[in-house]
Amino acid sequence: MASGGDPKWQKDAADQNFDYMFKLLIIGNSSVGKTSFLFRYADDSFTSAFVSTVGIDFKVKTVFRHDKRVKLQIWDTAGQERYRTITTAYYRGAMGFILMYDVTNEDSFNSVQDWVTQIKTYSWDNAQVILVGNKCDMEDQRVISFERGRQLADQLGVEFFETSAKENVNVKAVFERLVDIICDKMSESLDADPTLVGGAQKGQRLTDQPQGTPNANCNC
Amino acid sequence: MDFQNRNNTANKFVCPSDRQLALRAKLRAGWSSSKTSEPLRPEEQEAIISVIRRNEEIEIAERQRVGRLVERVEKIKQHAVERGPNCCRLCGDTFGLLRPHRIICEDCRQSVCTKCSVDINIRYHTSERTREIWLCRICSETREMWKKSGAWFFKGLPRYDTPRSASATPTPTATPGGMASMAGDTRAVHSCHGTPTRPARVKKLTIRVNDSSSSSGPSEPEDELDGGAGSGFGGGARGSAVGRLQREDSFRLRAYGSIRSFIDGGERKLSNSFFFGRQQSHRPSECPDYDSISLTNGSAVAQLRRESSSLRRGSVSSSWSISESSGSGNSGSQSQSQSQSQSQYTQAQQQHCRDPLLGWLEIAISYRENFHSLDCTMVRARDLPAMDASGLTDPYCKLNIITPEALTKYTRWQRTKTVHKTRNPEFNETLQFVGVEPEELGNSLLYVALFDDDKYGHDFLGAAKVCLSTVHSTSQYRISVPLGVEDQYSSAAEMAQEWPNGKILISLCYNTKRRALVVNVKQCINLMAMDNNGSSDPFVKLQLKPDAHKNKKHKTSVKWRTLNPIYNEEFYFEASPHDLNKEMLIVTVWDKDLGKSNDFLGSLQLGAQSKGERLQQWHDCIRLPDHFHEKWHCLAPDNPAH
Repeated sequence: MASGGDPKWQKDAADQNFDYMFKLLIIGNSSVGKTSFLFRYADDSFTSAFVSTVGIDFKVKTVFRHDKRVKLQIWDTAGQERYRTITTAYYRGAMGFILMYDVTNEDSFNSVQDWVTQIKTYSWDNAQVILVGNKCDMEDQRVISFERGRQLADQLGVEFFETSAKENVNVKAVFERLVDIICDKMSESLDADPTLVGGAQKGQRLTDQPQGTPNANCNC
Repeated sequence: MDFQNRNNTANKFVCPSDRQLALRAKLRAGWSSSKTSEPLRPEEQEAIISVIRRNEEIEIAERQRVGRLVERVEKIKQHAVERGPNCCRLCGDTFGLLRPHRIICEDCRQSVCTKCSVDINIRYHTSERTREIWLCRICSETREMWKKSGAWFFKGLPRYDTPRSASATPTPTATPGGMASMAGDTRAVHSCHGTPTRPARVKKLTIRVNDSSSSSGPSEPEDELDGGAGSGFGGGARGSAVGRLQREDSFRLRAYGSIRSFIDGGERKLSNSFFFGRQQSHRPSECPDYDSISLTNGSAVAQLRRESSSLRRGSVSSSWSISESSGSGNSGSQSQSQSQSQSQYTQAQQQHCRDPLLGWLEIAISYRENFHSLDCTMVRARDLPAMDASGLTDPYCKLNIITPEALTKYTRWQRTKTVHKTRNPEFNETLQFVGVEPEELGNSLLYVALFDDDKYGHDFLGAAKVCLSTVHSTSQYRISVPLGVEDQYSSAAEMAQEWPNGKILISLCYNTKRRALVVNVKQCINLMAMDNNGSSDPFVKLQLKPDAHKNKKHKTSVKWRTLNPIYNEEFYFEASPHDLNKEMLIVTVWDKDLGKSNDFLGSLQLGAQSKGERLQQWHDCIRLPDHFHEKWHCLAPDNPAH
């Protein structure tokens, strides 16, 4: 599972020719297909064999989006609870989350709310989230309808995709969308928010100044 | 290595915030401290550590990349000249009529010229509208750095290694990203037991920020300087380093303002520890370091005191940008727009964004219906451009009314008295326009142009238009309007000034090889006629005063029977560039008379004591040697020799 020796990975990881670096985190219950999802996206490979992720793992992929090269460091986390202390430590640096459940597994869908609470607890406030229902190729075993997933996503105020890592459905779309959302957020936070860029600070400075001047005077 | 041993938490000083506790309580499958589970097996630990190691490589590369980004911005900042409010902060070009336009950077509110700034289109997600704003190169690069480094997300720069000195780096410790701090080294595995690092910043730092930010906005750079000086020169040399670095620092101070402005109150502690981080080790999540911070704080106080004067200077220079965002400006442009079509309005708005702000003018207008007279009181002006070397101006206003046909209603412009030596004149002078019909008010504009009064030419300061439709006969209409750049009317007002003595075209160049000032007298026009034949026999005398090198006076040949002589004659005055800052070139034009004394035709003085365009030409000549700087000047009627 560890992909440290993979030459492709090394090439991607060492590549410094990029504009932005986004750190993404895939979370969700155990065995919903997080690792498969990441392998499908990063290496375009799939195996049905289930190997539980130990703690954490990540892959690096550079994508070209909006004339910018974006380097993605995608963290794959263990769904098992015994690794939580380790996985949550990485929430803090993530700009985007892929919250995954399994459409054939009611429990994994019910846990989504808990995962959202975890994101709120441990991540930065402006981290972006996408809800993903994986294994949509297994229609005969499906227990969570597309509609239920969409409704939950609406409730949470996040975007929603149904994917299949096995059949390579929507995998790329999820990542591209997440990158787009983060890019939007970035330009919004810097360019379009006048309170950040100046307004609020200015007013503050006006009131601050009189306090500062006497201070400076006594110190002189 | 025991991953699950909670008693071994490295961050015993770090407490989860209330919000975290509340949220954690909500987690049904929560992993509160009461919960224990089996420890990680050795092979699991190994797997995790190998991932952490891989991540570490990426983190190092990333830190270096951010370091390069930071250094790039720093370099641009270091190359900035920062000469004063009337010069471009980056290249030092002065603004003016034939010079680059002044542009106010959206972020740092400093004046820059067009070639040192970029306009970016920003998009409002809420309204689908785009707005064009101007940013100076420093601020645009800073924004870019914020995007590329991820600082926009973490509301503070992440850890970085500067390329220059990778070992003793001023590495900021405020690693906002948990990934960066937690996975930075294997030690982080232990700290995984505790909570993630959100509350790792201690209140001591927050206090520091509050008191420094109260003196003026961007004060962290003081801290930064302190750190830099401390490591670079050693504690003892600190004091002497201050003077040397002060200039650069007061500049950084403003440059970081833009960064700072991103950091709202809640996140301030982060930014502060970013600057303080330079005095610490690389371990962000270890608490004993905070004691050392407080110690260095103490030694930094003296430094801060010394720096406080430069701080205040910074805040004064930025003070007028505050007024720009005040409501009065909007009311000005809005009232103006009422009479104009929508397209004109948007155009005016765009122009408002683009145009430099040349100050503010407060006007009170009242209309007396029975007299058909419009009384315009020029109350005061604020923040006018400086025109002389000491940063002062001698402003006066010229007024006219612009008809709907875009013509000036009166051929004679009304003029206020000059208020001398101030950029914030109190005019308090009422000028009366008679013969203004009531129906005219609805579609006419009052046009006010401000000029700098000088013996040798009146330089344009700013102009404003006020829509008269809002003026009522009953009450006085008071308004504060922003002053814009010159247009056709202001040049008309300028043309209306009478210069009976004519004009002279002079080209100046400092020749570095000969170490001399080269004066090329090109031509004169519209000289006064002094002889009976309705003409003159003009020649030009040149003299440098006080003249450290005892150059002789020069004069051109005499051009017989003409009022528009063309000379194209060059003269050399030996002088060092340094001397030129004190010298004054005195140009006098004479009518050659045989047999009796020559008649005086006009004079001009160019030098560091000149004002406006003349000062500009003089400065350009010194600043850009070996280039000719050519300019038309008016000739004054008084003879400087008398």
